[in-house]
Amino acid sequence: MRAGAVGQAELKLFWRNRTALFNSFLGPLLVVPVLISVDADGVPLVIGLMGFVLAMAVYYNLVTTFVARREELVLKRLRVGELTDPEILVGAALPSVVVALGQMVLFALIVGVVTGVAVPARPWFLLLGVAGGVVVFALLAAVSSVFTRTVEMAQVTALPVLMACLLGSGMIIPLSDLPEGVASVLRLLPLTPVLELLRAGWDSGPVLRPLIVLAVWIFLGTYAVRRWFRWDPRR
Amino acid sequence: MTVIEVRGLTRRYSGGFEAVRGVSFDVERGEMFALLGTNGAGKTSTVEVVEGLSRPAAGTVSVLGHDPFRERSAVRPRVGVMLQEGGFPPDLTVTEATKMWAGTLTSPRPVEEALSLVDLAHRASVRVKQLSGGERRRLDLALALLGRPEVLFLDEPTTGLDPESRRNTWALIRSLLREGVTVLLTTHYLEEAQTLADRLAIMHRGRIVAQGTVSEVVDAYPSRISFVPPVGVALPVVASEDGDGRMTVRTNNLQETLHELLAWAHANSVELSGLDARSASLEEAFLAIAEEAA
Repeated sequence: MRAGAVGQAELKLFWRNRTALFNSFLGPLLVVPVLISVDADGVPLVIGLMGFVLAMAVYYNLVTTFVARREELVLKRLRVGELTDPEILVGAALPSVVVALGQMVLFALIVGVVTGVAVPARPWFLLLGVAGGVVVFALLAAVSSVFTRTVEMAQVTALPVLMACLLGSGMIIPLSDLPEGVASVLRLLPLTPVLELLRAGWDSGPVLRPLIVLAVWIFLGTYAVRRWFRWDPRR
Repeated sequence: MTVIEVRGLTRRYSGGFEAVRGVSFDVERGEMFALLGTNGAGKTSTVEVVEGLSRPAAGTVSVLGHDPFRERSAVRPRVGVMLQEGGFPPDLTVTEATKMWAGTLTSPRPVEEALSLVDLAHRASVRVKQLSGGERRRLDLALALLGRPEVLFLDEPTTGLDPESRRNTWALIRSLLREGVTVLLTTHYLEEAQTLADRLAIMHRGRIVAQGTVSEVVDAYPSRISFVPPVGVALPVVASEDGDGRMTVRTNNLQETLHELLAWAHANSVELSGLDARSASLEEAFLAIAEEAA
């Protein structure tokens, strides 16, 4: 796979980038106390950690990766080569996604063993949720990079999506504790349907609505990236 | 066989600024065509459209018989591009960056071969951020050559190179031309165009204002003879004063005019100090065009 060549190089860069390493590996550990303090254990803790990994290791890391490669003129160079545009983006996203998947497996195993979580009854919804979540947050990262002039700016430009998703998707405050009107709006956030699908892996929660919401986000994200993604710096 | 065909190319930026206005040229197989021009003349804007990086606002471009923008996948495996400014991730080594690029190509040269072509083999394990500007430029060239291209786009390939590296790069480009590679070059260095290019075009404010072989472009401009005559002597030829008493004669027949002047000086025992006679050069043509158009 040609995108793999870019992915390999990205993986090397990832190991050489301390900030990205820290965000990916130590960041999630910092939320464990938060999640435990809101009485999350077992399944909710696993799901909360997975949501956090999607937000930080996929979304935030990819915003900075796309911006850094654009400003270094690496994306511009890749575009004069043989790769197609989607291959370039997939290649650049590959290591962050691989690391995120590894973290999710690791956290699920640790929490699962320590707190005695049952094996998911419907694992395919779990997989669907993870795959959909990775795609949605990679697309959202590409869209956010359009508004982000420098890597440092990503701390600000990524905040709306991070805040909305981490606070509003039922990770910390269960949606069932909120007024129905508010909850139905929060269900439209990109992370909410992902978490609902993950949860549906264990319980018999709804899957149709989250699948539709997720599909709409993927469609919108793809459209926005094709239309607005910037391959070279604004001059 | 025509490899690159550009017709009425116009490029407009989102603000409405027209960087390229109706440019047309052809490049034949195995030929080097150079685009010259002042900064902001539209050279890079033109080349980027020919490379297929963006769509022209008007006009058509064909590279190896394909539209480079819409049929990117048909064109790219056969061309090599050296951008005026292309980036490398600063934390990769020279070899890693080259390997990454090789991994994206259909039939790449061996990495070591590409690096030694541009004299970078000894820097293979150095991080890209530690390279000098000239070394980075050569790495750029190595990547452009990595896919054994039939057509090579070189956007100011020798900017930042020391004189020796520049000569080596010229020799490399010459050998590629001999192998039948077609080259589209943009450059600031008129000497570079004069020594390498089969044909060239001079751009000014988005248009081509002169086009042809070096001698066709240059022949349109007069040769010059300049000297400092003794004070108060009446000259046999029309001359203009440059200041400091130096006179310049412009002529389309350098040999005849020079002979006339020297015969007169000899017959009258006049000393023409600082005598300098030169055929029109590309530099002269270029400056005259920039001045005329300004």
